[in-house]
Amino acid sequence: MSEKIVFKTEADMPLLPMSLGTTLYNKTGSWRYLRPIYRDKTPPCNQACPAGEDIVAYLRLVNKGEYEQARQRILEENPFPGVCGRVCGHPCESECNRAQLGGAIAIHAMERFLADLPLERKLLTLEATAPAGAKVAVIGSGPAGLSCAYQLARRGYHVTVFEALPVAGGMMRVGIPSYRLPREVLDAEIAAIAALGVEIRTGMRLGDNLELDDLQDYQAVFLAVGQHRGRKLNVPGEDAEGVLPGLEFLRRVNMGHKVKLGPTVAVIGGGNTAMDAARSALRLGADVTVLYRRSRKEMPAISEEIEEAEQEGVRLEYLSAPVEILTARKKVTGLRCVRIRLGEPDESGRRRPEPIAGSEYTIEDVDTVIPALGQEADLSLLDKGVRTRGDLIVTNEAGATSRQALFAGGDAATGSGTVAHAIGSGKRAALAIDKFLRGEALDDFPPLTEHVHAAPRDVDPTVVHFEDLNLAYFTEEERTPQPQRAVSERIKDFGEVNLGFAEKDALCEAERCFSCGTCNQCDTCWLYCPDVCILRRDHEGYEVNYDYCKGCGVCVEECPRDAISIEEELKWRK
Amino acid sequence: MEKVIMGNHAVSYGIQLARAQVIAAYPITPQTQIVEMLSEFCADGLLDAKFIKVESEHSAMAATVGASFAGARACTATSSHGLALMHEVLHWAAGSRLPIVMANVNRAMGPGWSVWTEQTDSLAQRDTGWLQFYCETNQEVLDTVIQAFKIAETIFLPVMVVLDAFVLSHTQEPVDIPDQATVDSFLPPYEAKFRLQPGDPHAFGGLLAPDHYKEMRYKMQRAMEEAVAVTSQVGAEFGKVFGRSYDVVEKYRMDDAEIVLVTCSSITSTSRVVVDELRAKGEKVGLLKMRLFRPFPFAAVQEALAGAKKVAVVDRNISFGHGGIFAAEIKSALYSAPHHPLIFPFIIGLGGRDVTPQSIRNIVSYTQEHDKPDEDIIWMEVKR
Repeated sequence: MSEKIVFKTEADMPLLPMSLGTTLYNKTGSWRYLRPIYRDKTPPCNQACPAGEDIVAYLRLVNKGEYEQARQRILEENPFPGVCGRVCGHPCESECNRAQLGGAIAIHAMERFLADLPLERKLLTLEATAPAGAKVAVIGSGPAGLSCAYQLARRGYHVTVFEALPVAGGMMRVGIPSYRLPREVLDAEIAAIAALGVEIRTGMRLGDNLELDDLQDYQAVFLAVGQHRGRKLNVPGEDAEGVLPGLEFLRRVNMGHKVKLGPTVAVIGGGNTAMDAARSALRLGADVTVLYRRSRKEMPAISEEIEEAEQEGVRLEYLSAPVEILTARKKVTGLRCVRIRLGEPDESGRRRPEPIAGSEYTIEDVDTVIPALGQEADLSLLDKGVRTRGDLIVTNEAGATSRQALFAGGDAATGSGTVAHAIGSGKRAALAIDKFLRGEALDDFPPLTEHVHAAPRDVDPTVVHFEDLNLAYFTEEERTPQPQRAVSERIKDFGEVNLGFAEKDALCEAERCFSCGTCNQCDTCWLYCPDVCILRRDHEGYEVNYDYCKGCGVCVEECPRDAISIEEELKWRK
Repeated sequence: MEKVIMGNHAVSYGIQLARAQVIAAYPITPQTQIVEMLSEFCADGLLDAKFIKVESEHSAMAATVGASFAGARACTATSSHGLALMHEVLHWAAGSRLPIVMANVNRAMGPGWSVWTEQTDSLAQRDTGWLQFYCETNQEVLDTVIQAFKIAETIFLPVMVVLDAFVLSHTQEPVDIPDQATVDSFLPPYEAKFRLQPGDPHAFGGLLAPDHYKEMRYKMQRAMEEAVAVTSQVGAEFGKVFGRSYDVVEKYRMDDAEIVLVTCSSITSTSRVVVDELRAKGEKVGLLKMRLFRPFPFAAVQEALAGAKKVAVVDRNISFGHGGIFAAEIKSALYSAPHHPLIFPFIIGLGGRDVTPQSIRNIVSYTQEHDKPDEDIIWMEVKR
C-alpha cells in the first residue's frame, strides 16, 4: 500500500467490505481448471438401432409437436418406418434406459405413428454427389436392396433394382404376413422410393435370366439376394406329402396363392418364421402346435410375437425335437419326437440342446409339418470369383466383395435376419458405392457389427447408461401399451393385429423419454449454475460464458441426462 | 384480529405482515411449522415472496445473505443444530451489515438427542454480531418479528428472534394479529444501502487488509451500542401504533423489591405467577425480564437492580466451564455499578425439563434462606 489511510471521521469508515471500483475487469473464469462442455453423447437406443436411426432426436421432435420433422429425421436413415414400426424386433427398446423406471419407451410404436401420419410422404433428395451418368445395379428388392437404392438415388445415381420374384419387397413382402404388415403400407414405402427415379425390374433372377456379366453398363453392383432357402430337418419322412417348408408356406400365403393345410399342423422351430407360419396356419383354420428344442428363454422370435401367438391359441411345446416324420402311404400322419435337456452354452451363447435317451414319444394325427429352422442364401448362383464363407458372401467393412465394383449386403452377406439390419447394411453399401464411384478410399467404415449414419451426427460415441442419469429428475412412469384387435376377431382374417398409437399416446411416450446424453433444453444447468454462466441460445441449447465459469461442475453433476462433459482446462489452453 | 395460534405461526404471521421478499429455509423440529406456513402463504399468493428450498441451514443462511445483498427483505427460521450449522454464515450476515431477521426456536443441543427447549443453541451464537431477543408469549413473538425488521434496517445488523421449543412454538395462545395497513405504516419497504447488481458489479466480502478490518469491527460495535436505544424507541413507537409497548428489559413489581428474579423467555410468565403470590404474602420479591440479550442492555440492568439485595438469575443454559450465561452477563454488567447485590446463579430446566411455579418458589426460598450461594452454580432439581 503506497498511501497511508486515515479516516477523518467515523462516517468515513467503510460499513462493509465492498470494492469501490467495478469488478467488471475481473474475469474470474481464469480461476477455472475444469471446463464444462456441451457435448451430446450416444443414447443406448441409437447405439442399438441396426438401421442407424437417431431415435432420441425424433422423440424430442414429437415432444415439441414437430411430427413432420420427426418423420424426416427417420427417413434420413431409413425409408421404411412404416415397415420397421410394425415388424422390427426393436433392439432399441431392449437397451432403453427407461426400462428400469416404468418400461422401455415404445419406440417401434412411435416410429409407426410417424410413418402413418396423414401427411403426404416425400422422400427428400440430397445435393447430388454422383458423377455424371453414374449407374448402379441392385440385385434384390428386399430391405437391403431398396435401402441402398434409396440412398443412392437421393444422391443423384441412376439405380436399377432387379428382383427375381414378380413382386418387389423381398422378405418384407413374402416372409412377413399381412396381419403384421399390411400390403398397402409396404406398397406405399416402395412407391416412394420408386418415385425418386429408382427402376424396379421384377422377374429377373440371378443365375437364371440375369448374370453379373450382363451388368457391364453399371459402374457398381449391390448384391442383396437375401436368404430364401429354408434349412432342412434332416429326419426320415421329410419328403412326404404334407411337409411344407416354412418360407415356402409363407411365400405362398403372402402372394395370395391357395395353400392346402390339414386340420392339424405342427411347426418346427422357434424363430420369427416359425411364429409367422404358426399364426398364418391358425388363420387358415388349422389347429397349430409349435415344437421348439430349447426353452422359451432361448427362442429367437420377437417376444411379442410369441405372446400374441399364444393368445391366439397356438400351443408351444418346448424342449422337444422331431426324430422322424411318421407317414402312411407317403402322407404325413404324425411325429416321432424326443425330449431335450439343455446342456452347457454353445458358441451362440445359448444352452446346447441334448436329446434325453429313451424319451422318445409320438404325436399322433398330424396332417401338416412346417419346418422353420432358419434360412440360408442360395449362393450357387454366384460365379466363382466372389468369396464366400459358409453360406454368406464375404465383404469388408465397406460392404465390398472380392470382385471389383461388386458390393454385397443384407442377409446374404450378414446373415442377421432382420429388416433393420438389412436397411443398415444397404445404407452402408450405398455410402461406400458413392465414395467408390467418386474415387475416394473406403477405409473409414465402422465394423460390420456397428451401424452407419447417412446424416452426419456430431456426438460423443460414449453410450449413456442408466447409472449415468440424474435420477432425481425422473419418476416411474408406465409405458403406454399399443391397442390391438381382440383375439377373437383377429384370428378370423389377415387384418392387422396392432392398431397403432393415437396422438396422445405418442406424446405420452415422447414425454417419458429421458433423452439420454442429448440436450433437450430442460434448463436445469441454466437454473443451477451458481455463477450465472449458462447462457440460453434461442431453440438450440446453451453456451457457457467461459469468462466467468469457474468449472465447479454443478451443471455437469445436475444435468439429468449426462449431456455435459467436463474436461481439464489445460487441454483447451494449448 | 385475534386468533388462537401457536408460537411458530406467530412468527409466520409476523413475517407475512412484514412483507418479507425472500425466505430461504430448511426444516428442523421444532421450527418446521414456521416455514411450512410461509411456504403455503407464498404458494397461495398471500405473501409475494420468493421461497427458496435449500439442502441445509448453511445454505439457507447463505441464500438469505445473497437475497439481502440484492436488496430484498430476507428472512429465515431455524433451531439448535440448524443454527449451529449456520454459524459461519451468521458472521457473513453481520459482517456484511445485512438486516436479516431470523427466528430461532430454542432447542437443546445433542447429544443426547433432544427436541425440547433450552437456550444454549442461541446463546452460543452471541458473538456473531446478531441482535438477540427472547420472547415470553406468542403475542410478543409476533410483535418482536415486526419490530426486528425495523430495528435491523435502522442499524444494519441482523436480528434473531428467539422463542422456546414447544412451550411457545407448539402452544396455542390468543394473539392479536394487526392489520396489514397498520403494519405497513409502521414498517416501510426496505431501502438497501448497498446492492448487489449485475450491471454494476462490485466485490463484496473480499480480502480486507489490517488497515481496514478493525474499523469495520469498530463500526459494528458502535451499531450494537446504538441498537439498545433504537430497540427502546422502536418498542415505544410500536406501543403507540399497536397498543403494546416493549423495551430492552421489563421490570415487574420491582418497587422496593429486595429479592429480584432475573428471567427470560417463557419462564418469565411462570415467575410472574409466583411473584404475585409472594407479593400477596407481603414478601418483597420482584422480577426483571430480559428481553434483549445482544446488545446487552447494561444501563437498564444496572438501573433495575440498583435497589436489590439479592438477585436470583434463572438460566436454562450452560457455558461449560463457566456456568449460566445470563448470570455471568449480569455479574459483568454490575461490576461497574456503584451497588453490587449478591448474585445467586441458578441452572434449571436443561433439555426442556419443566420449570413449574414450585421450581420458582424453590429458587426464591433458597435465595431468601441463604446469605450467599453455597456453590458457584446452584443446580436446581438435579437428580443427585
